[in-house]
Amino acid sequence: MQPLFRVLYCSRTATAGGPDTHIADILSVARRRNAADGITGGLMFSRGCFAQVLEGPIEVVMETFERIQQDERHSDVTVLQVGPIAARDFPAWSMAYAGANDADDPTEGLETGFTGHASGGQELLDLLRAVIVREDDRLQLT
Amino acid sequence: MDLTTEPMAMTGSARRAPGSAHLLALLDRARAGIVTVDRAQAILAVNRPLGELLRIPAAAVADAVWLADLLDGSAMLTEALAHEVDAALRGSIADGQPRTIAIVRGHGNEARFLALHVTPLADATWALTFEDTTERHAAEATAVNSALHDPLTGLLNRRLFQVQAVAALEARQARIVTVHVDGPPDHGSQAVLLIDLDRFKSVNDTLGHAVGDSLLGLVSKRLRGIARADDVIARLGGDEFAILAAAAPDRAGLASFAGRLVDVIGRPYLVDGHLVNIGASIGLALAPQDGDTYDKLLRNADLALYDAKASGRSTFRFFHAEMDDRAAARRSLEIDLRKALALQEFELAYQPQIDLDTKAVVGFEALLRWRHPTRGVVSPAEFIPMAEEIGLIVPLGEWVLREACREAARWPDSVMVAVNISPLQFEDLPRLLDAVARSLRHADLPGRRLEIEITEGALLCNEQGVLAALNRLRAMDVRVAMDDFGTGYSSLSQLRSFPFDKIKIDRSFVTDTGDLASQNAFIRAINALGASLGMSTIAEGVETEEQLARIRAEGCTSVQGFLFSRPVGPEQVDSVLAGFTQSRLSIPSA
Ligand SMILES: Cc1cc2nc3c(=O)[nH]c(=O)nc-3n(C[C@H](O)[C@H](O)[C@H](O)COP(=O)(O)O)c2cc1C
Repeated sequence: MQPLFRVLYCSRTATAGGPDTHIADILSVARRRNAADGITGGLMFSRGCFAQVLEGPIEVVMETFERIQQDERHSDVTVLQVGPIAARDFPAWSMAYAGANDADDPTEGLETGFTGHASGGQELLDLLRAVIVREDDRLQLT
Repeated sequence: MDLTTEPMAMTGSARRAPGSAHLLALLDRARAGIVTVDRAQAILAVNRPLGELLRIPAAAVADAVWLADLLDGSAMLTEALAHEVDAALRGSIADGQPRTIAIVRGHGNEARFLALHVTPLADATWALTFEDTTERHAAEATAVNSALHDPLTGLLNRRLFQVQAVAALEARQARIVTVHVDGPPDHGSQAVLLIDLDRFKSVNDTLGHAVGDSLLGLVSKRLRGIARADDVIARLGGDEFAILAAAAPDRAGLASFAGRLVDVIGRPYLVDGHLVNIGASIGLALAPQDGDTYDKLLRNADLALYDAKASGRSTFRFFHAEMDDRAAARRSLEIDLRKALALQEFELAYQPQIDLDTKAVVGFEALLRWRHPTRGVVSPAEFIPMAEEIGLIVPLGEWVLREACREAARWPDSVMVAVNISPLQFEDLPRLLDAVARSLRHADLPGRRLEIEITEGALLCNEQGVLAALNRLRAMDVRVAMDDFGTGYSSLSQLRSFPFDKIKIDRSFVTDTGDLASQNAFIRAINALGASLGMSTIAEGVETEEQLARIRAEGCTSVQGFLFSRPVGPEQVDSVLAGFTQSRLSIPSA
């Protein structure tokens, strides 16, 4: 098996004039492709900012990251962490999600404190893990 | 008459074979597929390869009476292609002339190529010879491809880009002529975008060429992703790309296109597990307003690109006429500069460096001046970048070394001369070492009286090579000073890599603008660092008593600046030295 690799980045939704950003569209494509590619991860959206973890075999992670880079629905991509990992953080998720339903509403934000500025990759990663576990619990309750 | 059921006696592949068995055997061995017909297109003879070539079932070959039957049975020929064959034969039957047509079936790698020769034979018969030319085409196509495409990215290369751009420009001109006659003028324009990657070289230098090559591949994919289908994209060489927007939208549309390119090309890349950040600078020129020939467009796009890079990179610029003026000014500066060395228009001025403890002149920094007959004295800030750009800095730097050593040889033995060495001179280390050694030898100057000043830029690439060269200089007793200390980002780590003799604190810490407290703290830190590493420190740009008092309080060991003396011509060095001998006590004490 190929060694596992992880990328963590954050970005902003494209500014006015760009294409509309519907999280549901992004997620459905992401989940379908990631499931086929053996990629797992988490996506968070809050107040106009994305944070995403992609984990999987290095080649497909690089390919997927490259595709996402070319996506005009977001910009200002800052990579916070990149490198090999021993195990997946989101093994059960082709792309877990936490956040607002539609990027068009800039006021909608998660109660996570995430504002697009994370002081470091590790902090953001911890946040993503915590949030996604919480959402996960909520989903199982309902 | 029911032709399909007419019994036919056949020998070999022949029906009413006109020739001998030998001939038939020969025809069957041919690589080409051959069928002969009469004026009514009834089949006279068919060789075996024909069925294979046109993919006609053997039974259908055997049953066919008319040429049309054969063509119908072919899995290779579409109806349209069969029609072309028929048309060629009819043409030849009508005028008795041979015909050759090319038949292409399918696309891309799947494409099959056939050549059909229709040849009138004697006694009102015609031969149709089908030849498979797919391999030849493929070979030619690869040859053409590799001659015209960039093997790394698969984009067009510079030559094919030129061919296509020229053709597109001509097509536009032709269109305007016709439109002019029967409609409103065509405002559709074309644009050339020149794209240069920022910081690509450092990716190559730090991560290696394999990563650099993969990165170029990813860049070209992003370019393809952003460009529209009819844009022509090329890699002109190195890290330079070009796009010909054949039906360019208006300026605003082009601006948003260029902005998107800058944005997307400038986003992070993952290459072989490495995170790589580069940027893109873009210059645009529009046809016809910025030029209606390929050469002019490319040149103007290049000027715009230069401007984009000069204004901080990772941005785009449209060509403007003023860029032409600026380019003309640059060109004339370049021409004058190239002549200046031969015409001996350069001179050196010397600014004393004073030791604050002994209050004596310990050395002079040699400063380059260019005195041009009509420009007057040109500031180094204006001509040094140009000299570096055109490579003149190397011979010029050698002249400075030679001249400074020659002058210094006349000075008292206790007085050194400091010479600035450009980072570009460090790109040819043997040549630099040779220039230093020869300058010392010719002037008969001991190495300990020469100090070379380098900026951290010199150490940025090929640090190992440069360090080795510095050690060789040290072996000649030459002293080495770190110039402009505190302005670059890696100053500190560089101090660790080589035992410099002296640290020159950048003048920005001396001038009393900005936050004095933090400047003082910085000067104090550098001095402490210098003291603990055994390096002396000198402050540049000291102009006032207050500044002197400050830097002295923070522990500098020597100074240089207008407060003591402007740079002076070589003939005044003696009087500066004499003046200091008399007035050394007038230097304020701490
Ligand atoms: C914030 C964000 C996150 C995305 N995450 C993924 C992902 O995890 N996997 C994926 O395949 N596509 C993801 N996409 C979508 C890709 O950018 C792209 O649209 C998709 O992979 C389809 O690519 P294609 O049209 O080139 O086939 C994401 C897009 C955005 C804006």
